[in-house]
Amino acid sequence: MLDPLPILGLTLRQFIGGRAIRIVFLFSLVPALFALIYLLEPGGTTAREFFAGIFQEFIAPTLLPIATLILATSALGNEVEDRTMAYLVLKPISRARIVLEKFAAVAAAVTLLLWEGTLLAYLIAMRGDAGDNIDQLLAIFVAELVGVVGYGALFMAISLIVPRALLAGLIYSLIWESLFGRFIPGIRLISVRHYVQSIYVRLIDNPAIELDEAMRLVPALIVITLLAAATLAIATWRLRTMNLE
Amino acid sequence: MSVPAAPPVPLTGEIRPPDSVSPPITENSTVIVQGLSKWYGDVVAVSDVTFGIEPGVTALLGPNGAGKSTTLEMLTGLLAPSAGTIRILGKPARGDVTLYREIGLVPEQETLYPFLTAREFVRLNAVLQKLPDPDAATERALGIVEMLPDADRDLRGFSKGMRQRTKVAAALVHDPQVLLMDEPLNGTDPLQRARLIELISRLGKEGKTVVVSSHILHEVERFADRILVINRGKLAAAGNYRAIRDKIDEHARAVRIRCSDPRRLASDLIRDAALVSLRFEPSLDGGLPSLVAETGDVRAFYRAVPAVARALDIHLYEIAALDDSLASVFAYVVGR
Repeated sequence: MLDPLPILGLTLRQFIGGRAIRIVFLFSLVPALFALIYLLEPGGTTAREFFAGIFQEFIAPTLLPIATLILATSALGNEVEDRTMAYLVLKPISRARIVLEKFAAVAAAVTLLLWEGTLLAYLIAMRGDAGDNIDQLLAIFVAELVGVVGYGALFMAISLIVPRALLAGLIYSLIWESLFGRFIPGIRLISVRHYVQSIYVRLIDNPAIELDEAMRLVPALIVITLLAAATLAIATWRLRTMNLE
Repeated sequence: MSVPAAPPVPLTGEIRPPDSVSPPITENSTVIVQGLSKWYGDVVAVSDVTFGIEPGVTALLGPNGAGKSTTLEMLTGLLAPSAGTIRILGKPARGDVTLYREIGLVPEQETLYPFLTAREFVRLNAVLQKLPDPDAATERALGIVEMLPDADRDLRGFSKGMRQRTKVAAALVHDPQVLLMDEPLNGTDPLQRARLIELISRLGKEGKTVVVSSHILHEVERFADRILVINRGKLAAAGNYRAIRDKIDEHARAVRIRCSDPRRLASDLIRDAALVSLRFEPSLDGGLPSLVAETGDVRAFYRAVPAVARALDIHLYEIAALDDSLASVFAYVVGR
């Protein structure tokens, strides 16, 4: 176990032995499955277009938030529910440290799984000309990392506030961001997804890949950083004040 | 058949009403609880409890659901009181994490991290306590509870008793001044139980403040210097164990006896001074009836029955108390 970061090490071991990470792992392979289908029938689409589409239409709106949701809600919420949290909070360490180490474990686990699935899909879709589109792969990696930070902090806070955090997270990402975001433009400004997609679009800087009202890179990064800081502060406050019966 | 005998011994006035039972808060008190209450909506779990606890072993005694665990959870700071204050070693029980260097908790709940070994679990606690040598502290704590032979086994395969001992090791790993134990003897076998009791007594003699909750009356006698009786969320009695136990033993209690010749045994038992009444209870399977005796001195009666049976060459199959539940005994002790 990692002595300087024992809670991070503990959480990663919880993940490794658990069912949640197996679900996320299988889910992260879905882009590779799409890439295989694309290989069989490209339908006149270039590999670059295919890969941009799979990020904008599947990874950013569905895979990224749901994979993060599954692990983020289990990191803190499950320990509160099964009462093992008492072994962590009854120690001379700050609640902020508990939250931050848990968050780091979530971010590391989800990011690695997303990157592994994305890389596999990329290698399949690009075949021989993988090197020519490496900028696209790196842009997706960065956008995924930023998305995991934003969603991870948000869902961890939700898991300490709402009894059915998984359901609440699904409602947020599938109904608020996906459904309402499509009809009400203003909702984009309070959706993690919009910032993640904006970061991707700005990083590849390709006129062929567009996003309505895309944020500029630095403001998008600042918004996600502020969101993560605020929601982690809420999670810390909640862990400090809640009753752990 | 019912045989009248001596009248039950009445409860005399040593057990005081709740308002005056609180153990005094002195300058030696390491745990100070004042006006502590906890309620959930209309349900009152703990009601205006005040007490001071000094070094040594103090038992928190009461039937299941009496408010013991709620009180312990508030002492650790896991639960916020609805009213009142708790100070442990001069610090508030909630909000100051430095206090946890001096507190160890053995929670009642059994859930542990199933994927860790006992050694890893205890070491995790040592690391989180920021001990300078977590490995040495882990070995010491596991040694105290005699878990070293099983230290490298996963917790998921442990029996309840082994889990209890591992939780005790984790609570002791940083050598705390105050140890709070919620039903620590649950699930332990007689040998483990004896050793845990010996450990609890030793920690008390070393000057630690050990608070142990239990709902088993006779268990408490073996380790507690003082007891706090909690019933229906209120502090019902407090003080020396023996005084309270004597009051409990004065309570007339029913005892069922199954033996090879109940009529002959009954004819001799009615001469026993401790007997209040005696009746036969038919057997459901058509066998010999049982004897149900009401006695005012259960300990003396338990000694007398085997002696009488031996003298008459009667085989005893069972002697079991019928109304020995703590709820009824506590109701008697606190006069409500």
